[in-house]
Amino acid sequence: MENKKKASSFISEYFIFFIFIAIVVILTIMKPSFISPRNLGNILKQASINGILAFGMMFVIISGGFDMSVGSTLAFAGILAAMLGKGQVPLILPLIISMFAGLCVGILNGVGISVGNLPAFIMTLGTQTGIRGLALLICGGNPVTGLSEGYRNLAAGTILGIPTLAVFWIVVAAICSFVATKTVYGRRVFACGGNIQAARVAGINTNFIRISTFAIAGLLAGLSGFLMTSRVTIGQPTAGESYEMDAITACVVGGVSMSGGVGKPWGVIVGTLLITIIANGLDILGVSAYWQKIVKGLIIVVAVLIDVKGKSKKD
Amino acid sequence: MKKLTLVMAIILAVALLTGTAFAAQMENGVLRAGAGAGAGYKILLLQQHRNNAFQNGVYDAAVAAAEELGCDLTILSSDSDAATQIGQIEQAIGEYDAILFEPVNPDALGAASKEAADAGVVVINIISACTDWESYGIAALSCGDNVTAGETEMQNVADLLGGKGKIAILTGPSGDSGGLQRLEGYTNILANYPEIEQVVEPADCGWDTASAQTTVESWLSAYELDAIVCENDGMAIGAGNAAGANSGIIITGVDGTPDGFEAIKDGRVTGTVSQNGGEMAANGLNAAVLLLKGETLESNTLITTNTWIDANNLADYE
Repeated sequence: MENKKKASSFISEYFIFFIFIAIVVILTIMKPSFISPRNLGNILKQASINGILAFGMMFVIISGGFDMSVGSTLAFAGILAAMLGKGQVPLILPLIISMFAGLCVGILNGVGISVGNLPAFIMTLGTQTGIRGLALLICGGNPVTGLSEGYRNLAAGTILGIPTLAVFWIVVAAICSFVATKTVYGRRVFACGGNIQAARVAGINTNFIRISTFAIAGLLAGLSGFLMTSRVTIGQPTAGESYEMDAITACVVGGVSMSGGVGKPWGVIVGTLLITIIANGLDILGVSAYWQKIVKGLIIVVAVLIDVKGKSKKD
Repeated sequence: MKKLTLVMAIILAVALLTGTAFAAQMENGVLRAGAGAGAGYKILLLQQHRNNAFQNGVYDAAVAAAEELGCDLTILSSDSDAATQIGQIEQAIGEYDAILFEPVNPDALGAASKEAADAGVVVINIISACTDWESYGIAALSCGDNVTAGETEMQNVADLLGGKGKIAILTGPSGDSGGLQRLEGYTNILANYPEIEQVVEPADCGWDTASAQTTVESWLSAYELDAIVCENDGMAIGAGNAAGANSGIIITGVDGTPDGFEAIKDGRVTGTVSQNGGEMAANGLNAAVLLLKGETLESNTLITTNTWIDANNLADYE
């Protein structure tokens, strides 16, 4: 009896992981080339940028916030990186500048929300529009071309057989997982999202925690912008439109609660991979564009529904 | 807390004011010139948006044409929003002698155009046609032909393939009228080539490079493709990135923008169909000035020709 209970709670805890495995098996049966080494590399490359954004989003959502601006921040940082990435300076400089630009946008968001007391949705919707405008302004609306050979090859390359983009993601995932689960700071982020009044009473500087989560999201959006420019080999002011929704979807599918205080880093990884393999699998199966949208929507809702049902049974 | 709110409000106000002053300085392309055939006429040009190289080409060509004609040209962006564009047209009545606009939506601008035309403004539809444009008092249409552009692109692909091969198509956002017309052009040509096979359904990549790159990466791990036909240059670049330079796969686009040219030069993209958006705007302006001077047009439909650009003739267009 005890064992049975344990097993069922284990299954509901990792339900989204089992759904992920099930979809992998189904896609492999329908199209064996889905698990070819080449396609596995594709999946990693395609998941990486959203995966990095999703980790920033994870901190924000767990602390009780919401960030609509990461797509625009990605574009803005990507344009800056492209302008500096034509070979005139070492590649590390555009990397630092784009991350710094993202960090600034994140801090702006955080200050507006925690100090200015604006709803996160309104503040980040404002920066979403404003920063997109800034991205268009600095490049005059034109895509930035003429990147250096080294910058263009960065995202296309591999390190020990793993796509470079995925290496960035793995590093970000490792650091973020450690910070979220093993540090005092991480526990405070959870505390803020769980009950901000209680956190404040317990002596946590909630303003600092909230600003810092948006700063992390901005920093990672800046990094994503740098990587995106390398991946598409041009700086595009229109890049990353609606990427915030993909990042939020990855978090929610991975079990991060929109009401804050709940979430697991491994869930965010599985969530990111899940929405990537759905898109990748439907492309490989050659499903028409209209059906892709319908299927994607359905799978997201059903996956979360089953997960939520499974958890509520446990309680 | 109140103090802080006040400080923030002041900072915001200062930022807004400086921002507006800055914007006014480099105002949305208001141009005032003296002599020329169109001297003294006030003309408004509404662009669908101004977020890409094609639209910047339209802008530059319109400014150059206005300088030559000597007319007083204001260029505004409608930010891809039909309601914004309708408002801009309504406001322009009484202010401008002529309005040129690229419709955000082919069916949404009829009533506003008619209102302007009835008020005596010369209304000219540029770049993409409104449905039944003549019935709304629109004086002339200056556009390219998306169906022909699609035909030109697919014909070149068919020739390069020798009439036989496996292809895939990347389209703009589902339901976009320009995209559907290009697709119609593809279909017209494919009807003549039974041995050219579409191995997957056309994928909607929303004009976006990153999205095209992702889709083509996935395809290439599952299908052997001889050609990837894209409805714009941005997506062709994404396809080219996924396939790699000189991959042997024929990759084509539509637009003829500088980023597309760069990709043709380094072998990621095979060729593109130039839509000459600048010429459409310039022809529209010329027509507007002629009509304002009371002259008549030889034809009220001005069609700009498409040009196939590949590595061989690229140098002529850069």
